[in-house]
Amino acid sequence: MSLKRCSFWLGLVLSMGIFAIAPADAQERSAVRQGFQLATNSNKRILVFPPSVRVGAQSTGGMFEPNAEWTERAKMNIQGALKILQAKLGNQVIVAPDADGDQARNLHEHMSLFAAISQAVIEYQFFVGNRLPTKKRDNKAEIFDWSMGQSVANLPGADSADYALFIYNKDAYGSTGRKMLQMVAMLGGVGVTSGEHVGYAGLIDLKTGDLLWLNADGAMGGDVREVDGADKRVAQLLEDFPGSQIGKAAQQ
Amino acid sequence: MTAKTRIMAVAMIATGLLSLASPSLAHKLHEKGAAVAVANAPLWVTPSRDWNQLSGRIGKYAETWTLDGGQLNDVTFYGGIPAGESLVRERSKKHDPLPKFTAETLLIEVPELVERTYRAFKGIGTFSLISTDPAPFLGKDGVRFTYEYTDDDELTRKGEARAAIIGGKLYMMTFDAPRLNYFGKTIADYRALADSATLR
Repeated sequence: MSLKRCSFWLGLVLSMGIFAIAPADAQERSAVRQGFQLATNSNKRILVFPPSVRVGAQSTGGMFEPNAEWTERAKMNIQGALKILQAKLGNQVIVAPDADGDQARNLHEHMSLFAAISQAVIEYQFFVGNRLPTKKRDNKAEIFDWSMGQSVANLPGADSADYALFIYNKDAYGSTGRKMLQMVAMLGGVGVTSGEHVGYAGLIDLKTGDLLWLNADGAMGGDVREVDGADKRVAQLLEDFPGSQIGKAAQQ
Repeated sequence: MTAKTRIMAVAMIATGLLSLASPSLAHKLHEKGAAVAVANAPLWVTPSRDWNQLSGRIGKYAETWTLDGGQLNDVTFYGGIPAGESLVRERSKKHDPLPKFTAETLLIEVPELVERTYRAFKGIGTFSLISTDPAPFLGKDGVRFTYEYTDDDELTRKGEARAAIIGGKLYMMTFDAPRLNYFGKTIADYRALADSATLR
């Protein structure tokens, strides 16, 4: 088979798939639990856990390959950015105490659960073309009902706060092979993404485990390996945090 | 690698990626009380609450239902897997082969078949079989087993399954959910679904 013919078939395959990739703009990114409101200076205490940060490369086939150096750098940058912005959340902020041993493992598992819930919300409630029938029904009734369960009440620092802020980031930067794939795919008239930049921020009720507010996006901005990029990322994650001025300040 | 084989490899990956990205057909609602045949088999269940059937299938003989998304609660029906077939579709027969259900597979060996399939298909390292007990399924001698594993999303999930071998084919229902909150919240709904299952 000639290269020209290969390119034709590739173009055809990719063109057929053009409708399979939904435009990211068509998707909601944020939601609030029905009836939940948080006013500025309402005497509510917000427990802030250290953000979960995973950074690596994306192989040609799309697999995540962790990079310890990038992860450490991003973790430092994101924590630095959060330290500045958490003062603007509009309510009293409590930094979660250090956890180790079983407590650290338990917190890590809850963070993973938060990520799985956020992913399910994006995939099955935010993504218009892929909503589960029961979630479609919820959307019509303006119901946003997701929960991490009451075990959140046992997390370190939970007894001294009302709500907890969970932040999860996973960044996979496209490898050379992935970028090549993206370029070849472009010839076929369709966008194959190179890199994955996932960010979720959620406010959890520490008594019930209910998800009160979520900002979740599978295509975040900001290179978290750089200080400026991490600042942009954290501002984006917290831009419409209930009761805060962060979004308004960013727009000015 | 020649330029031709490189382009062919990229094309294959592109096709794979697109098929993964495709939401294909819409997910389907199964309403409480309405009996329905599942997994293209004469396997019928009557749900005790509304469930969503995911549009994608992980195998020719499999069908998945969920309440909140496969990450959070996953009921998979395996509707009569014949000898020589794997539980789920193989990604690559050459590079990523999956264990097969065979004519010699005993009921007591089914939990191990599930474990080996999960390890290979989900790429997990940690899988523990918690219990295996005889328990009727679809009105025949069957096995009921429980397990726990940690996926590559670093979330520990618990699972419970019921299986029976009838007419040389494997019928099975599995339930998988994070051990935090979701497993306990939905296990009774899964058991009610499994209790309602019949072969017609």
